[in-house]
Amino acid sequence: MSAYTALTAAGYRAQVRDKTTVFFTFAFPLIFLVVFGLIFRGRSVEQSGFSYLSYTASGVLSWGVANAAVFGIGFTLMQWRADDILRMIRMSPAPLSAVIGSRYVLALGVGFVQSVLFVGVAMLPGFGLVPSSRWPLLIPVLVLGITTFLLLGVIIGSIADTPESVAGIANFLMLPMAFLSGSFFPLDAMPDWLQKISLVMPLRYLNDAVAAALTGRGDLSDIGVGCAGLVVFAALFGAVATRTFRWTKHS
Amino acid sequence: MSSTSPTPDRTGQPAVVVRDVTKSYGDRRAVDGVSLEVRRGEFFGLLGPNGAGKSTLVEIMEGLRKADSGSVTVLGESPWPRNTRLLPRMGVQTQSSAFFVRQTVHEHLRTVAALFGADREAVDTTLEAVGLGGQHDVRVDSLSGGQRQRLAIASALVHGPELIFLDEPTAALDAEGRRDLWGVLRGLKAEGRTIVYTTHHLDEAEALCDRVGILVSGRLVVTDEPQNLIGTFGAASRLLVPLGRIDEQQAAALPGVDGVTVQGGHLVLETRATGRVLAALDPLTGLDGVQTRTPSLEDVYLEITSRQTRAPLAANTARTAHDTHDADTTNRQEQA
Repeated sequence: MSAYTALTAAGYRAQVRDKTTVFFTFAFPLIFLVVFGLIFRGRSVEQSGFSYLSYTASGVLSWGVANAAVFGIGFTLMQWRADDILRMIRMSPAPLSAVIGSRYVLALGVGFVQSVLFVGVAMLPGFGLVPSSRWPLLIPVLVLGITTFLLLGVIIGSIADTPESVAGIANFLMLPMAFLSGSFFPLDAMPDWLQKISLVMPLRYLNDAVAAALTGRGDLSDIGVGCAGLVVFAALFGAVATRTFRWTKHS
Repeated sequence: MSSTSPTPDRTGQPAVVVRDVTKSYGDRRAVDGVSLEVRRGEFFGLLGPNGAGKSTLVEIMEGLRKADSGSVTVLGESPWPRNTRLLPRMGVQTQSSAFFVRQTVHEHLRTVAALFGADREAVDTTLEAVGLGGQHDVRVDSLSGGQRQRLAIASALVHGPELIFLDEPTAALDAEGRRDLWGVLRGLKAEGRTIVYTTHHLDEAEALCDRVGILVSGRLVVTDEPQNLIGTFGAASRLLVPLGRIDEQQAAALPGVDGVTVQGGHLVLETRATGRVLAALDPLTGLDGVQTRTPSLEDVYLEITSRQTRAPLAANTARTAHDTHDADTTNRQEQA
């Protein structure tokens, strides 16, 4: 068994045995869906003709998936360093890519289940989401999104030394970004300068690409631009992550 | 003690060579010009008070920290930067916290084995060896302190390394567990593996180690076989004479007696000439009930460390004395 397979298997077992975290990882975006669904029931976004629900569905999905990717690896790396598990791996010949790769596969798995569950619920009669014919493009878009936000999580998990600081830093970045990138409220309703600020946020690109793929709001070029934006941010976060990564508390 | 005769060096190359290594944290010198060789197949104990720099020195040997100056060679290679060719040949005991969460004992060790590319059978035999054979399906978070320590040691052994670093491996074990582990460690040595370990149990170091090094304030004060150390430093033996046989003044006046104290029901006579004192004592009181306590490594250790910590600033004089002693030790090693 390779180091990568073993770490993935151990990570999978740890994940499914923690029922509480499993429940909330998947319930979190659904709660947002229900809340927004109730608030904006039957209303549509001005001029666009799209229902609020279809709007928030894609925004909440991309935010939920990104959030899970950031928090998952952030907490794991911090905890593994605090418990000296990273030190142990450092003292084995296993490459860092096996560590990050195993967490990447697990994050993709979480993102997949989240998306299926979320889209499934959003299509129920009360919510009435109708996926666009381009929905298969959601797969590469979400894979790219998870890659980008996982790398952001690597940075956070390398800087933070306590669970509190992981939560603090991740929330500080992810919550304002959710509002400023149009995950919860349409960007059209925001002032011009705020819309421009959203262009330096990776979530904006994920939102746009997910919206175009899932609800058909936008065309293929929106998906292309979204993916390109995510690739740029992934490269940036990856470069920073390799500089901030620490095997042990003192290194 | 059988373990005090070092295994012959089969390759001619020492397992670990440390040359004039220095490491500072800010103004504090954690390791101060340490030179040290650990031979292949040797059981080497690194002793010293808390904060003496043992962990830092071991981590430099392991390649976890970079020395500020000096050189380190482990199994003929440099451990720094991370050397993936060398790592499978080394085993490092993990902290007792370093367990993959929500795994069973077997799952954890299986994962560790896979990190090293070791096969699955090794997991069962290693668990058996450290006395966790019956705990395969117990979750790591339900283990007792002693069991956690055994699993941490198993994590260092599962891939069959040539050189093993153990950090206070018996700290959390009860007396029985310690003796069990001694058996495991002696078995590893018998297989020709090299062991470098730190401990606060001096009796254990005396029983297990071929050689010990005593580190005080970042400097390696002495390196020698435990029995040689005890001889060289001439720590006093103690004769315990039941009270009432002889009074304190009489005892103090005996030839060869350095000091007299009363402890429990005994008069304790300190001496470096046990034979002379016993010979003088025999006609006075007879030797029935007289007990002899020979000095242990602990006595020598306490003498060395207290002498060092008492006058840490008189380093210049101390250093000359130690250099001389180290030279003596080296000579003896070369003759051996």
